[in-house]
Amino acid sequence: MAQSRLEKIGTIFTRVQGLLRGGAMKTEDKPIWYDVYAAYPPKAEPRYDRPAPEVPVRNIFYAEDVVRAKLHKQNRPNETISLFDNKRSTQSQQFMKIYENLKSQGALDEQRIYETALDLLAEQRQQSRLDASSEEPAVAGIELNVETKSQLMSDFMEAGGQQAKSSSPPKERKKDSGVGINIDSLFKD
Amino acid sequence: MLRKTLCNLPRFSQLCGLPRRLQSTQAEAAPAITTTVSADAEPEDIAVIEQRILKHPDYFQVHNLFTVRDLFNARVHYGHKEGSLDDRMRPYLYGNRLGHLIFDLDKTAVHLRDALNFVAHIAFRDGIILFFNRNALNAHLVEQKALEAGEFSHTRFWRGGIFTNANVQFDAVTRLPDLCIFLNTQNNVMSQHTAVRDAAKMAIPTVGIVDSNCNPNLITYPVPGNDDSPAAVELYCNLFKEAILRGKRKRRELLGLPPLDETQPRRSRNKNTTTKSN
Repeated sequence: MAQSRLEKIGTIFTRVQGLLRGGAMKTEDKPIWYDVYAAYPPKAEPRYDRPAPEVPVRNIFYAEDVVRAKLHKQNRPNETISLFDNKRSTQSQQFMKIYENLKSQGALDEQRIYETALDLLAEQRQQSRLDASSEEPAVAGIELNVETKSQLMSDFMEAGGQQAKSSSPPKERKKDSGVGINIDSLFKD
Repeated sequence: MLRKTLCNLPRFSQLCGLPRRLQSTQAEAAPAITTTVSADAEPEDIAVIEQRILKHPDYFQVHNLFTVRDLFNARVHYGHKEGSLDDRMRPYLYGNRLGHLIFDLDKTAVHLRDALNFVAHIAFRDGIILFFNRNALNAHLVEQKALEAGEFSHTRFWRGGIFTNANVQFDAVTRLPDLCIFLNTQNNVMSQHTAVRDAAKMAIPTVGIVDSNCNPNLITYPVPGNDDSPAAVELYCNLFKEAILRGKRKRRELLGLPPLDETQPRRSRNKNTTTKSN
């Protein structure tokens, strides 16, 4: 086609426009994108020499970052996190939840809240670990029958956690847990 | 002389009164009678329609193809680290989270809708669309989606001159694509894809996903976003495919042709290749 190949001058639109205006390109030869481009021009002109705008890139920080940084500095995190798992919260998220909860109650100062939250988190984890370890031998016995071992394991953890949290009778617990595993009834025999 | 024939090539179809392009990527399912009828009555009509729908801000309803939440779930907001930032990408960024750049998905959504609208209009006008991608991880996905859309893809090493020296390289008068879609605009982390420059040289508009280390200047419709994650690339591919199919469906509907057979999008091209080999 009769056209300029100098991509550094103007844009594809202005170059074709010039050819059409000057008669070098006939109206019936104009490319099919020409009218579409004219009707919906891009937000920024696609020029080769378009200068970079002087926009500063701001830093993203949250208020909770201060406490979170303190937590991670003093307790090196050693848990394994699955990025595909949106349901389970990480230890750091659990800590933040406890911390925010304590903070909203007021009364204590920052350092005390931090220490109390840390204690509560440790207690919570200890509880869940105890539940998990008490179930482990039984799990080893039945894992041959079940294909999704890791799934089952995590379900037990979840159910165990809920058991620890609520002191309500087992029938209600069954309804609570999403997967519907009642640990007590599972290991009766 | 070659140049002269090339000039006349687009007009040839108009002279013949063909309602579709010469190397169509759409299935030839229309019976003979309907094609002759549409050839007599439609060619003027479709040109008028093409002009009319340009007045509509979003004729193909591409705004409802995705939400900002979809972009977020597909990890479109992740950029590269701040050290590799191209200064021309600054206006599209939301910020810098501990050294990692994060895209502003509201801006991405606006640009992506513009790009999808443009793609749908080109598909409506029976343009040839070519997908590019130089990431080996996503290459097969892109080829597959281009196939499903009934269009073309190029995911391998780009020999220089495929656009700029096409008539010599292919030993024939070659129709270049009418739109290039770049799923990533880099060859590797260091250099830009040569086809970006070549498309600009040959006056072919481009739609491109530009990451935070890319240069958006020569891309006609740049879409700021993550171009590495398979989840993100799959989302882009599905969106572009859907936009193309909407454009094609609308065209066939307005021309009175039977709807596209989307289970076998390659039928017409397979026919051509078999005749060639024979």
